[in-house]
Amino acid sequence: MTAMKTIPRHAKGSAALSLVLILCLAAAGFVSLKSAIDKIPRKKIPGASVIYVPSGKYLKYVTFGYSSLVADLVFIWAIQYYSTYTIVDRFTYLEHIFSIIAELDPRYQDPYEIGALIAFSEAKDPKLAYKIMDLALKKNPDQWIFPFEAGHYAQMAKDYDTAREYYQEAIKIPGSPDIVKRLYAAVGFKAMDLRTSWDTWLEIYNTAADARTKKIASKHLYQVKSSSDIIVLHEALKRFQDQYGHNPENLAELVRPGYLESLPKDLDGKDYIYDSKTGEVKPPTIWWKR
Amino acid sequence: MKIKAIAINTFREAIRDRVLYLLFFFTVVALLFSRLLAMLTVGDRVKIIKDVGLASISLFGMLMAILIGTGLVYKEIDKKTVFTLISKPIQRWQFLLGKFFGLVLTLFIMTVLMSLIFIVIVFLHTSKIEGRLLLAVLFIFIELVLITAVAILFSCFSTPILSSLFSVSFYLIGHFSWGLETLLLKTKPGPTKVLLQGIYALLPDLENFNFKTEAVYGLAVQPKFYFYSALYGIVYTFFILMLAVLIFKKRDFV
Repeated sequence: MTAMKTIPRHAKGSAALSLVLILCLAAAGFVSLKSAIDKIPRKKIPGASVIYVPSGKYLKYVTFGYSSLVADLVFIWAIQYYSTYTIVDRFTYLEHIFSIIAELDPRYQDPYEIGALIAFSEAKDPKLAYKIMDLALKKNPDQWIFPFEAGHYAQMAKDYDTAREYYQEAIKIPGSPDIVKRLYAAVGFKAMDLRTSWDTWLEIYNTAADARTKKIASKHLYQVKSSSDIIVLHEALKRFQDQYGHNPENLAELVRPGYLESLPKDLDGKDYIYDSKTGEVKPPTIWWKR
Repeated sequence: MKIKAIAINTFREAIRDRVLYLLFFFTVVALLFSRLLAMLTVGDRVKIIKDVGLASISLFGMLMAILIGTGLVYKEIDKKTVFTLISKPIQRWQFLLGKFFGLVLTLFIMTVLMSLIFIVIVFLHTSKIEGRLLLAVLFIFIELVLITAVAILFSCFSTPILSSLFSVSFYLIGHFSWGLETLLLKTKPGPTKVLLQGIYALLPDLENFNFKTEAVYGLAVQPKFYFYSALYGIVYTFFILMLAVLIFKKRDFV
């Protein structure tokens, strides 16, 4: 106190002012240093921050009952991580990261869906997307959405057999909407399993609860039948061509030599359109405009 | 000389503190525990030992700095011993800097001891002394010095419990400020971005002192990164100390 008393008032004021000035200078100093440091690239091991994160199974024990919260945090972090395009091999640990979240909070749906979406659209790895969806289904066997989405990815990847398997799995889960069955039937058509596709569409038609679904099923039934008929007609045409060396004038000529028992007609009872010059056969109606 | 006298006195006071020994004991346990953890892993055991070792030095060092630092000035005010001190020809800033350097000296000795144990454990596994690990410890120490300054700053105007909470918050913010950087990258230009940039520039970035990963993996770091980081630590510590001096100068003890 005595030391303070000896200092004149104006000196005290200027000392405080100098201190504030020093403070401002120091702040300017660390701000510019921080900006300089930020400009220096720091070598990182890609994914180094995640490769040593233990499996969620073990991580769960150290979350002290906050595993859902930790799952949320890991998910939020993962979104930032996967939207950082500078990490070129960020997809290497995709399965690991999303399996951690799955272990911490198995009922948390979004991470499975986002993880599979990243795997499919960003990493261009449909198999990884299926794997994530498989894990989701394993943890949530009552959720039809996971095999449904996996089927959707397989359909987009034109892997129709895999898509059918997933849709079939989704159909078995109670609560799955009608669209799953419709997609299953549509994929069956793409995979050229016309018998199954016809049977499924017929079942949808017969059990449809509303006129719209019935109409959709009817259109697809038309498509499946016409495709099946056209295949049969093309086979008969080929045999005719092989024997006579030219196309028949009309389709009725296929019946007389016995290539066909009778001439097939479309679902509306109309004849198929035939071009004798090219040998092409087309349905009289465009199926989706029917 | 006055600062030195207070610093030595603070050092003596700190080494008498039971908390210090308790924390030191836990550090030693953690360092030895790293050996057990390494036995449970598959693959590189030394990596686990290095990771746990460096993390223990950093975490327990931080706890030492905060738990002792937050009580240093407050105790003097609470027990009224500050009146005896400031009635002597000692400036308040000298008193504060003396306290700071006293605790820094304590932490320096503790860090050296912890590092010695750590280096010996690593040496027993690798049969070599890795300079990178010592460099990582040096930057942990720089971080501890900054945390000490922060603890003393809060100790000037708050109770030890609140000061500890504030200091731990400072530590957490300092290590998570990279999140703000990510947010900045995703924010559209405008007043919000300017505000975020301002906050980002002022908030401490303690990751600048984190060379643990580089030390463990032997990654190359540009020398200027080390230099700027060390300088950043010194300037930031200076800023915090100046702020503490300014607050302590205006503090009414009655």
